[in-house]
Amino acid sequence: MNGVAAIVVLDLKRLWVDRIRLVSSLIQPLLYLFVLGSGLGASSVMGRAGYLKFIFPGVVGLSLLFSGVFAAILIVFDRQMGFFKAVLVAPLPRWSIAIGKVISGALQALAPALVLLLFMPLLGLVPGWLELLELILAMAAAAVTFSALGVAVAARFHSTTVFPIISNAILLPMFFLSGALFPLEAAPYWLQVAAHVDPVAYAIDLMRGALLGRTYFPLWLGLPVLTGFIALLTWLSTRVFASGEDA
Amino acid sequence: MSGTAIQVEKLVKNYGKVEALRGIDLDVEEGEMFALLGPNGAGKTTLFSILATLRKPTSGSARVLGHDVVTQRPTVRGLMSIVFQEPALEQKLSVRANLETMGAFYGLTAGVRRTRTDAVLEELGLADIADRRGDKLSGGQKRRVELARALVSDPRMLFLDEATLGLDVDGRRSFWSRVREISRSGRTVFFTTHYMEEAEGADRIALIHEGRIIALDTPRNLKNRVGGGVILLRTDDDERAASWLSDQGFSPESSERGLLLVYREPAELLPTLLRDAPVRIRRAEVHEPSLEDVFLTLTGKGLESGPGETPAPAAAGAAP
Repeated sequence: MNGVAAIVVLDLKRLWVDRIRLVSSLIQPLLYLFVLGSGLGASSVMGRAGYLKFIFPGVVGLSLLFSGVFAAILIVFDRQMGFFKAVLVAPLPRWSIAIGKVISGALQALAPALVLLLFMPLLGLVPGWLELLELILAMAAAAVTFSALGVAVAARFHSTTVFPIISNAILLPMFFLSGALFPLEAAPYWLQVAAHVDPVAYAIDLMRGALLGRTYFPLWLGLPVLTGFIALLTWLSTRVFASGEDA
Repeated sequence: MSGTAIQVEKLVKNYGKVEALRGIDLDVEEGEMFALLGPNGAGKTTLFSILATLRKPTSGSARVLGHDVVTQRPTVRGLMSIVFQEPALEQKLSVRANLETMGAFYGLTAGVRRTRTDAVLEELGLADIADRRGDKLSGGQKRRVELARALVSDPRMLFLDEATLGLDVDGRRSFWSRVREISRSGRTVFFTTHYMEEAEGADRIALIHEGRIIALDTPRNLKNRVGGGVILLRTDDDERAASWLSDQGFSPESSERGLLLVYREPAELLPTLLRDAPVRIRRAEVHEPSLEDVFLTLTGKGLESGPGETPAPAAAGAAP
């Protein structure tokens, strides 16, 4: 466990040096929320106010997804710089490197997403303490899932140039299929099927459940599915770290 | 302290069809300063990566301080520290934070981390730059900080992989004087290099060529193996001179520096050569064999045959 802490502490120290990045990671979701939300909301049956409330968990999910996955880019940089070798030859259990990286990525994703919550009253969203707690727990589960996805991808690649490709080829489809911007209940059948294998859909559904009290998936399903994704992805990363330079 | 620090047996590593290591046998004594010398692409880094627990051998075995580098990786990792050829400092953190981070990776408690960091910085003369950020250091300082970082965990073994790559002569000299102090403190030092003057400082040297150890001995014995001395000739027509020398029963090696001829009594042979050679000899030198000559006579190739920067060969005394 000390190894996990060592990895997390190191990453947080580096993040603190780079805190301007935290600010910039807020801009994209705010744009989605206010520009897209207002534009699409005007033509939605929910009306502008109803739609903004509806997509708020989706926008939080978007922020978590991109910051969570992209936090792992640090692993690729470290590999290119050579620093990651120093991590790999240290007597840290390989699972602790993977878990440490997943947790540090999740924390990096959670920070700007929590700031987004401050905008809730502007949208007329005033959750009670219990709902707020549920929402934050759901956000944490989502952040860990997305960070685990990023680490699993970063563990395999030695060049940062693949990240924009991954973002376009994997993250955007995952986001659009997730029902972040529209209700899945009303979506075509094929899309609903796709949403069932999309961890982003489960994560956003959990957050929406906490905040608005409505879920698409059965209430008990979300957490086990996300836990499964996290375990699988972290196991994959551990295996890659264990194979060192042979990977 | 006279156990075996490194024990390598029949080590083979293939990358697909490429045979990087073709059966390495090697023993390094505890407390020894040991150099692995060879040109780029000879297999140095592959062997190093296996000992560093970063790669698995295709077959054969390697043990560090008695522990297998494949099946007992965590133990091996805890006993040694490594300085890699790539700069591996966290640029955004201070020197001190870099060292303390490494201490945390090796499981030291916060108090021990701090004491060890201060002690090592003091020992390597880095106390005055302890709070400077990684990206504000010169190349030489960075390497010394990495050396310091490797010592935070108080390892019994220190591995250095081409650790002075890119340093100027002064930087290299200061780096190696620190390493020698570390070696004198009883730690085993295993390093790879393709600079022969760096290998000269080792207790023993293994020469590696095309995935095999072709010689393993002290620098002195390796040079004695060449026997006598080396005559270096520059002629108007090296090719003709070489074929003439071969006819005379010698075995000349052509190199970038000219024709090399190993002979037991070079000073006696030289006048004959100057008189009888069918080509004009523009320059003749006689010198003690260098490690470069050892390598050349064993392989027919120079140490610097690989890519990368090539330091000037050590100046040798010319015959009058």
